[in-house]
Amino acid sequence: MDRRTFLKSATGAGMVAATGGLAMPALAQSSSKTLRFVPQANLANFDPIWGTQYVVRNAAALVWDTLYGVDSKFQPQRQMVEAEEMSSDGLTWTFKLRSGLKFHDGTPVTSKDVVASLVRWSARDPMGLMIRAIQVSLEPVDELTWKWVLKEPYPKMLLALAKNNSPCTFIMPERIAKTDPFTQITEYVGSGPMKFLRSDWVPGAKAVFEKFADYKPRSEKADWLSGGKNILVDRIEWVIMPDPATAAAALQNGEVDWWETPLADLVPVLKGHKDINVDIGDPLGNIGAFRMNHLHPPFNNLKVRQAVLTALNQEDYMRAVVGDDDKLWKPLPGFFTPGTPLYTEEGGDILKKRNVAEAKKLLAESGYKGEPVICVVAQDMAATKSMGDVTAELLKSIGMKVDFVATDWGTVGARRAQKTPPDQGGWSMFHTWHAGADCVNPASYTAIRANGDKAWFGWPNVPAVETEVTNWFKAKDLAEEKAVMGRLNKAAVENVVFAPTGFYLSYQAWRKNVTGVVSGPLPFFWDVKKA
Amino acid sequence: MLAFVVRRIVTTIPVMAFVALFVFSLLYVAPGDPAAIIAGDQASPADVERIRASLGLDRPYLVRFAEWSFRVLQGDLGTSIFTNLPVTQLIAQRIEPTLSLMILTLIFAVVVAVPMGVVAAWKAGSWVDKAAMGFAVLGFSVPVFVVGYLLAYLFALRLDWLPVQGYTPFSQGFWPWLRNLILPAVTLGLVYIALIARITRATMLEVLQQDYVRTAQAKGVTQKDVLFLHSLKNAAVPIVTIIGIGIALLIGGAVVTESVFAIPGLGRLTVDAILRRDYPVIQGVVLMFSLVYVLVNLLIDLTYTLVDPRIRY
Repeated sequence: MDRRTFLKSATGAGMVAATGGLAMPALAQSSSKTLRFVPQANLANFDPIWGTQYVVRNAAALVWDTLYGVDSKFQPQRQMVEAEEMSSDGLTWTFKLRSGLKFHDGTPVTSKDVVASLVRWSARDPMGLMIRAIQVSLEPVDELTWKWVLKEPYPKMLLALAKNNSPCTFIMPERIAKTDPFTQITEYVGSGPMKFLRSDWVPGAKAVFEKFADYKPRSEKADWLSGGKNILVDRIEWVIMPDPATAAAALQNGEVDWWETPLADLVPVLKGHKDINVDIGDPLGNIGAFRMNHLHPPFNNLKVRQAVLTALNQEDYMRAVVGDDDKLWKPLPGFFTPGTPLYTEEGGDILKKRNVAEAKKLLAESGYKGEPVICVVAQDMAATKSMGDVTAELLKSIGMKVDFVATDWGTVGARRAQKTPPDQGGWSMFHTWHAGADCVNPASYTAIRANGDKAWFGWPNVPAVETEVTNWFKAKDLAEEKAVMGRLNKAAVENVVFAPTGFYLSYQAWRKNVTGVVSGPLPFFWDVKKA
Repeated sequence: MLAFVVRRIVTTIPVMAFVALFVFSLLYVAPGDPAAIIAGDQASPADVERIRASLGLDRPYLVRFAEWSFRVLQGDLGTSIFTNLPVTQLIAQRIEPTLSLMILTLIFAVVVAVPMGVVAAWKAGSWVDKAAMGFAVLGFSVPVFVVGYLLAYLFALRLDWLPVQGYTPFSQGFWPWLRNLILPAVTLGLVYIALIARITRATMLEVLQQDYVRTAQAKGVTQKDVLFLHSLKNAAVPIVTIIGIGIALLIGGAVVTESVFAIPGLGRLTVDAILRRDYPVIQGVVLMFSLVYVLVNLLIDLTYTLVDPRIRY
């Protein structure tokens, strides 16, 4: 019996559920000035450019400020920047910082710091690399002003500087920002609303942030990464809890205040507790996926990939991932995040209805010779394990031979990089998911790219997809972007760049004495108050 | 005795060298790539390669092993790939919770298990014996995390006597420190109680058949003295051995217990490091555990001379 099974059993659920309606004095209530937060994962490193895990970005958003920030409508808004100007030919961007901004060590934020930070960021970020490729110069003009000169216009400049996808344009002091982008920084000084208390950091156990008294929030109302980042507590403690049942108990007991990603199995218990609020955490959710290796048989054959897509039933996947809560998933006839301005289902009919007979017909036409599908599945992540089990049955149902490799995520991460044939240490397919925030448009959507050797693992080579990605970056307005996205989605489905298994959400939970918690692509601590 | 101790300490050197080589080699051939984990899911293969190079993971095995060995000989266990903190610092941060948990567990287990085993042997075949051994089997059979959840539910959530999770350093007071450790120590102790109680019972049963026990009883020595003075001392060698062997079990069990009760100990550090492929941390922790294990064995051997004067080194 594993822990998840135990939790789902009558004993486990009862153990936690029995407390649902009880009012008990909390044994270890933290003070109203300290917010205790259970993050989605361990904060194992703290360089948001070097390591691009979401948990690092989420912590970094407290410590480092950004030049711009996206709001809930995905529009870039000024944050550290006071004003910007684009020349009439679109080649020269001039930016000016707000005055009076300070780093945590007391030094003022200057254009030199910004330039050094942008240089480091642009070496690691997909959009940054695009800007680099057309860059003529990036230089300070005076203390607060800097200029970015390009060879050709880049209409998505402000989005690149505002986006919440890793890595964000976190601004660091020049001496830190000059660190090689592929080497980890050793000093954590930012100009964001919270200071990182390095001496209190116990990786794997806790990370502590303290309010920065000299932070100058903007006057506008906070909206995701934009507006005034007003911190209403003195201290935020991130408490790392590897065991979800313990996190649930600690939240009920008042030992922690806010849990970022409660296990779906435990949500009914938390919903039944009179002192706990439960709501959707990230409205942009996640897109489940399995990627097929386009370099080797059987998935180098388009008809085989189409056969798999035809037999795929997203409901099977989503129920395996999130259980029976229908609020937590949506079918996804395409690749982009539902509910966002550019969402499209164009060309996605094949994903709307399972057709096993058609899938078998396609497989027969493909000339599939019974090559084993090396299906590499990380068992240490609930979502990948669940999806892997469904895929194994799906492949068998259409007559494919499956070699199911149950392993851990660390091994998947290494093995998926191998381009060797599947029977020589390579792979045929692996499962993952993409944060919906990354799949709003092609800007940071590495997984949608289909530029062969340069593409993400699986190395799809679909010129039609790449053409539309380029067109999107050049699009001048929303209507043009939407038209491009439709064609892009259609091309990606037709060529099966990868297989989307559905769109799913997760809850967050917090105690009722905490107010100001909002849904967003990352936990926003500004305006969060604790009574 | 001194010569024996010196000899034993000297023999640990090749053992440690072998452990170091074995662990390093194992990690070298094990699948997984810390660079891929660092780079994140959206990173390009080229980025992953750059990070591998920056971490020195692209260099030959022998070069890396030689460098690491040289540093270890100077007392430097290296730096964590992920946190960029010295491995010695990470171990130092985590050693107190784990040591505290192990010591409390050991005390709790010995105090409960030895009398339980003695009484079970004395009342062999009775309901007392059956109940004690049934309890021991139960303690050994029920997974640690289940016991942990149940205890947390009862004593933390229902009765509100103890905290669910966390660790308070000893420096912040004895009671806060103890309060955080009671549930984890009892949880982990149940497995250990089962082990010690069964061994105690088995060895005591053997000893209680000896002539000198019968003689003591015939002379009118009280049952308590017969059991705990005459018999237990003669049964002590296997019990001490199993307590020592159990320390290794404690290290393993602590991993789960630390996760269930969110104790920032070495067990969790090790598991996190393994999952992330943080090679320097894994190597450092395993080396340290090996050293502890070797020293514990030495301590057990020396303890034999206290409980059995016939043993001489």
